[in-house]
Amino acid sequence: MSHPTNVRPRPFLEPAYCKGCLRCVEACPKHCITPGSTLNPATGYTPVELHLDHCNGCALCVQACPEPFGLRLDEGISHLEGEFRLEDPTKLFGKKCVHITEAPIEPDAEFPLPACEPLVLKGAYASAIGALFAGCRHVFGYPITPSTEGAELMAKMLPKLGGSFVQAVSEVAAVNMMYGAGGAGVPAMTFTSSPGFSLMLEGVSYMIGAEVPGVFVNIMRGGPGLGNIAPEQADIKLACRGLGHGNTHAPVLAPSTPQEMLDLTMRAFELAFRYRTPVVVLGDGYLGQMTGAVKLPPAARRMARPDWAVWGDRPHRHNLISSIHLSEPDLEAHNEHLGRKYAAITKREQRADLYRCDDAEVLLVACNTPARMAKGAVEQARARGIKAGLFRPITLWPFPIDALAPLLTRAGQIIVVEASAGQLEDELRLALSHAGRVPPPIAHVRRQGGVLPQQSEILAKIEETQEAFA
Amino acid sequence: MSSTTADCGCPPAAPVETYTAKDFRSTLKPIWCPGCGDYGVVTGLYRALASIGRPPHEIAFVSGIGCSSRIPGYTTAYGFNTVHGRALPIAQGIKMANPDLLVLVAGGDGDGFSIGGGHVPHAIRRNLDLTYIVMDNHIYGLTKGQLSPTTPRGAKTSTSSYGSIEEPVNPLLYVLAYGCGFVAQAIPSDMDGMTKVIEEAIRYPGFSFVNIQSPCVTFGDPEDQAKVQKAKMKKLSDLGHDPANRLRAMELAQTYGTDLYTGVFYRNPNPPQTYDHYIRERQEALRPKQAAA
Repeated sequence: MSHPTNVRPRPFLEPAYCKGCLRCVEACPKHCITPGSTLNPATGYTPVELHLDHCNGCALCVQACPEPFGLRLDEGISHLEGEFRLEDPTKLFGKKCVHITEAPIEPDAEFPLPACEPLVLKGAYASAIGALFAGCRHVFGYPITPSTEGAELMAKMLPKLGGSFVQAVSEVAAVNMMYGAGGAGVPAMTFTSSPGFSLMLEGVSYMIGAEVPGVFVNIMRGGPGLGNIAPEQADIKLACRGLGHGNTHAPVLAPSTPQEMLDLTMRAFELAFRYRTPVVVLGDGYLGQMTGAVKLPPAARRMARPDWAVWGDRPHRHNLISSIHLSEPDLEAHNEHLGRKYAAITKREQRADLYRCDDAEVLLVACNTPARMAKGAVEQARARGIKAGLFRPITLWPFPIDALAPLLTRAGQIIVVEASAGQLEDELRLALSHAGRVPPPIAHVRRQGGVLPQQSEILAKIEETQEAFA
Repeated sequence: MSSTTADCGCPPAAPVETYTAKDFRSTLKPIWCPGCGDYGVVTGLYRALASIGRPPHEIAFVSGIGCSSRIPGYTTAYGFNTVHGRALPIAQGIKMANPDLLVLVAGGDGDGFSIGGGHVPHAIRRNLDLTYIVMDNHIYGLTKGQLSPTTPRGAKTSTSSYGSIEEPVNPLLYVLAYGCGFVAQAIPSDMDGMTKVIEEAIRYPGFSFVNIQSPCVTFGDPEDQAKVQKAKMKKLSDLGHDPANRLRAMELAQTYGTDLYTGVFYRNPNPPQTYDHYIRERQEALRPKQAAA
């Protein structure tokens, strides 16, 4: 950009710094500057336009410009001898701002894994391994019992796999790190437990609003408040109905074995990217700590960086991650868009496990660890001639009502087995109500505070309801 | 604060009782690991409270979450084991509701400088009359050995398997920089020094901070235990440090992590009025004047 010395330098404009104040338009004696007509999307202002055919390089426009980096003279030759010389900001920091390398496009890929014997793994580890196989290399967490093991394994594994684990200063920081990483389009996750999950909810609401994927493994413990570190299922309401402020929903998966901790964590990443949404894997304290046989998946995955993400390169420069919509109609439209997404998820992603439900007259409904007790009770009840079955929702939101509805023609009794004060039952009743179904009588076996329903008390409840019918 | 007699025109108070360390010990038996530095801290605290002489029911003891945050339960004061990282805001609420209480706040380094780090500066600049005791063991003990904000660079913990790559927080410099009026450090193996420092902190009229390097025997660095600390300790009083000199205090605080200075780093020689004072003053000023009869 060098000029012959006999030519006076011409002004040039950084449109990003121009607020369209039009002082330069008035200052120019040659009428070279006109008010602009195109809005600069980066600033929301309309910068002026220069037509330099008649420009004589008088620099009156530069003097008139109130912005230090707005109108400037080409190549830094200053007419204003002895005055402050302005530096071109793009020169201050070298070439970094102008030469952004394009990120290589790596498509979705599957890498077959060698067959191996099942491993015996802790639930939290199984979940971490599932995340690694799903392509997650960015984990952010804060220590909290009983979920810390997942983060610890990640801290060990990720540096070897080209990833990173950051122990954030709090759950608030962790969720916002996920917001950042998710916005960049990489699979990110965290391990937490109930009080930590409460703390994350503001960030979750932002992620839902901005449609950023991320996986939250919440190993539920006893509450409210500090509670204890024993298993409870008292975050069901929070995960299904209370993901922060606003009209929020996100898929909620409820594993009941270490194997499912792995499988559903992998599935969570799939859902997160398919629907651009946070996904909650809701385990309970026992599932985090329990060991069990875990079969590894046949293949590991690598998630392609999605098109909508902020890649940090030129072709994706226009992508925007934001949850702010200041105009009311815009925000309403965005909420309606989210609503359509929730409807699509509700329609397609319901999952449930039906155990001896075909001819069941007494239907147990349970998830997580209590489902294991319920399964035992079903066996015992069958041995005593009671046709019992277990309906185990795998997705708590959306509640798998489509799988439940056909069973209601035969079942004369539902018993909800849960380690909370009726949060699963509320989900069930809400789903039934929305589906317009009049349910059979609903009884329940509930324990709280870290005590789980025992097989014997479930069986007693089954027998009690049957006697009432007899 | 140390006096319970009425020299302000209030009705005469109950006769001044004297207290011994035993009066502040609760019947709960601590469940810290054997050899934990926090045993020393709680003992020192009993002694300091005894010499302060306020009865246990006039003391509120607030803590966050962590091994060290169990400490209020081991005293006979009103204990409040609160939310992780939020001990200071809760203590401020207590102090404003009941300004005559002696409010102590305790917690660990993670509680105070990681998740609660954002509350510390504001508690300091608000300057309520609180005493904040941090039991700094450079590790998360309760969750079994993760990186803490004061873990030295390079230390291997369960979430920094290949050595920490983060620069630790310097708690002393942190609070000094925010203008804390009383800053001290102690170690539990120097019982007399620690007791004295805690007592001074409580007596300071305003926000006071004591960093107690209380070793973690289970997950802590074997080189950072009681014996090593005692050998490494340098008393600030022996160095002739003038606690009124804030800049010198900051200079000494720079060595956190290498040198182990104990004693008072900084005590504001002219303590400013506390927030509670300003509240009362404002309430007084805004109270509707009674019309002359």
